[in-house]
Amino acid sequence: MLRITNLKKSFVQPDGQRTPILDVPAFELAAGEQSVLIGPSGCGKTTLLHIIAGIVRVDSGSVKLDNIELTKYSEAARDRIRADKLGYVFQTFNLLPAFSALENVLLGMTFASGRHSGSRARELLVRVGLGHRLSSRPSTLSVGEQQRVAVARALANRPKLLLADEPTANVDPKNQQQVIDLIRNTCREEGVALMIVTHSMEVANQFERVDRLEELNRVVAELRETA
Amino acid sequence: MNIFKIAFRSLQFRLLGTTLTVLSMALGVMMVVSVLSVYGLVSESFRSNSSFGFNLLTGARGGGLQLTLNSVYYLSRPIENIPYEYYLAFQNADVREPQLKNSLAYRALELEQQTAWAELQSQSLPGMVGWNALARGLVDDAWSRRQLETMKLEKAGLFSYYVDYAIPILLGDYFEVPSADRSFRVCATNRDFFDKLVLDIDSDEHFAFEEGGRAFDNNDLNVGYFGAILGAMAAKQSGLKVGDQIQVTHGVPGEGSSHLHEQYFEITGILKTTGTPNDRVVFVNLEGFYLINDHIKPIEDDSMLKGVSEDEENPKPPTDEDDEDIFADGLDDQVSVAPFGDKLSDRDGIELPMRTSDETLSRYALPIEQREITALLIRTRREGDEYGTGAMALQPMLDGGKLESSLNWSSFRPINSQTTAQCVFPVQQVETLFSFFVDPARWVLLGLTILICVVSGLSILVGIYNSMSQRHHEIAVMRALGARRSQVMSIMLAEAILLGVAGGLVGWVAGHGLNAVLGPMVENQTGVPVSFWDFAPPEPVFSGLAPLFGDSSFANYLVKFRVSPELLLIPGLVLLAIVVGVYPAVSAYRTDVAKSLGK
Repeated sequence: MLRITNLKKSFVQPDGQRTPILDVPAFELAAGEQSVLIGPSGCGKTTLLHIIAGIVRVDSGSVKLDNIELTKYSEAARDRIRADKLGYVFQTFNLLPAFSALENVLLGMTFASGRHSGSRARELLVRVGLGHRLSSRPSTLSVGEQQRVAVARALANRPKLLLADEPTANVDPKNQQQVIDLIRNTCREEGVALMIVTHSMEVANQFERVDRLEELNRVVAELRETA
Repeated sequence: MNIFKIAFRSLQFRLLGTTLTVLSMALGVMMVVSVLSVYGLVSESFRSNSSFGFNLLTGARGGGLQLTLNSVYYLSRPIENIPYEYYLAFQNADVREPQLKNSLAYRALELEQQTAWAELQSQSLPGMVGWNALARGLVDDAWSRRQLETMKLEKAGLFSYYVDYAIPILLGDYFEVPSADRSFRVCATNRDFFDKLVLDIDSDEHFAFEEGGRAFDNNDLNVGYFGAILGAMAAKQSGLKVGDQIQVTHGVPGEGSSHLHEQYFEITGILKTTGTPNDRVVFVNLEGFYLINDHIKPIEDDSMLKGVSEDEENPKPPTDEDDEDIFADGLDDQVSVAPFGDKLSDRDGIELPMRTSDETLSRYALPIEQREITALLIRTRREGDEYGTGAMALQPMLDGGKLESSLNWSSFRPINSQTTAQCVFPVQQVETLFSFFVDPARWVLLGLTILICVVSGLSILVGIYNSMSQRHHEIAVMRALGARRSQVMSIMLAEAILLGVAGGLVGWVAGHGLNAVLGPMVENQTGVPVSFWDFAPPEPVFSGLAPLFGDSSFANYLVKFRVSPELLLIPGLVLLAIVVGVYPAVSAYRTDVAKSLGK
């Protein structure tokens, strides 16, 4: 479902020098598979998610999502693929404050090429336990509720892959497990592959597959060897 | 959710900023809408009324525009008057003869005849009846010849051939309505004004009266010389009705010499609304107007007046008994028929009766040498003159001083009388007014509109731009959710369009609301009714673009296409919003998603 081959990415520093960030020879994720990606800060976890989401271009290599070679497509085409094939849950939820819970979910559907279904959005919110807060603005929702809206929004377009960037970082320990359970269970029910980035070993230990980016990413590995 | 709903939610979320932006735009739009519609309606009314049933205007020499403003629109300061005989120069012999006989000159001839008679009688030969009769016949013949030669009694007026009608008007007085805190111009005229003058030449539409009303006769069976007719607005604001009696004010109300005339006029009719300045005028019978003391012009050679006044001491107001006396005396006695001006000149504080016999009234009719008119509304002969060449020929004759030559029949002239007259084409005067004053004002207005639009545009820009810093993160989230650059750009443009439409609509409603509030004031000042639903009249707003398309049919279409400029306001604002929305839209387009998501 997701296949990364010889991915390389570097950033240009203000002084004009290129600093390599990622060098991933191979990474794969099967359909419906759930994986957790861990690694120290600055090892390129979020950048890798952005590359998979098509937000950031690679320098070289191949990123195939659902047999679509993302690197060959224009930015606009990647945007459409992202809307259709991917769900994204952010660390800070990133719900849009001007919109109600239901509208935040519908907003995710607006940019996809398929039909926008209000009933699908409602159904998802009911499934995450927010059937009674459909018209509530994010500012009136608790942190846990906001995260649940974010999950519903990410799954609205029936994506093939859900990317979650430290979804429990801003959640208190009591709600942390609920959020993880919610994401995992909903992905399982929807048949969606899941890739979670986290710092929390407590979360990581619950997954059968744990990928350590410092091992996958040759840039970090080389730095370690040098050190 | 479509793009406009997303944009609307965004604006709704920033309610205070959005409201302030919309209000600042609305204020500008309100001003433009109000000024555009009031200006358009008033100028349209001016243009359409300039073809008001007459094509020539004759009045005292001076500014042609002031004459037009006074006589057509009842605006501007009162102007000088011209002798009444100018009116007679346009009448046929039937109208002229009885009026000319009501003159001091005729009176002088009568006295001359009496003197000759008396002399003849003193020299008559006793017993020579035949000889005496012959002498008397010769005196009569000589007198008749002098009458005919001097006064041209049997002839039509010098210009009567050229005109369908010439209607006299006399202005200068006002009718005050204290309850409405305003005054209306008084226009003294005769019945022709209501019978002959047409409101619209094309449709041949005449004045119409509200039920129960009628025009006064020049010598009315019911109200004598003292009939009055109210324009629709004057009637509405004064609350007067047919049968009520009114007094008019001499001079401009509030100015030093102004005072209320004691004479009453009785309302015989109320005009239906015409949408013309006539709606705010009180018309009174010219004959009655002349009989008001202040309107009698003192005569340079007042021997005729003195001569008669010596006959009658202690003048009294006429009564029904007077009527009887006159009948008893016998009207065939010519000497007793004309004791006119003297009584009137001493008649301060005396009120003439409204209902009395013709004879009593004619006894008080003012000699024509003492009469004046402000203007003559002339419609040149239309029969066989489709192109108005008669008017083109008549105007230079009148303007060149030919009217003055019609004044030589009488040696009695008012003191300091203005005898020179001018003749103008009112349409031409209005066009001049427009080209020198109104059209430049239109350019100022256009400049103001553009300025206000620019300020409105800046309001939109500032409104959106101020929120851009916090918007980058939102835009990045939308992008991460799959929004394309073009979509976030469209959302920003949609916000600008919504602001433009909201500001335009609120401003439009407020502008028309302002018109509704100011309507009565505008109507008072200009006579043009302005209400909430009155739009700026259609104009060929795109005609300026026609030269760009050469001689094509599209260019012709542009010249002919007329639309209310108001209707272009909101599309114009949308266009403006798109233009000013481009900057924030491009900024949204360029948002770096990866960077902004991390913020």
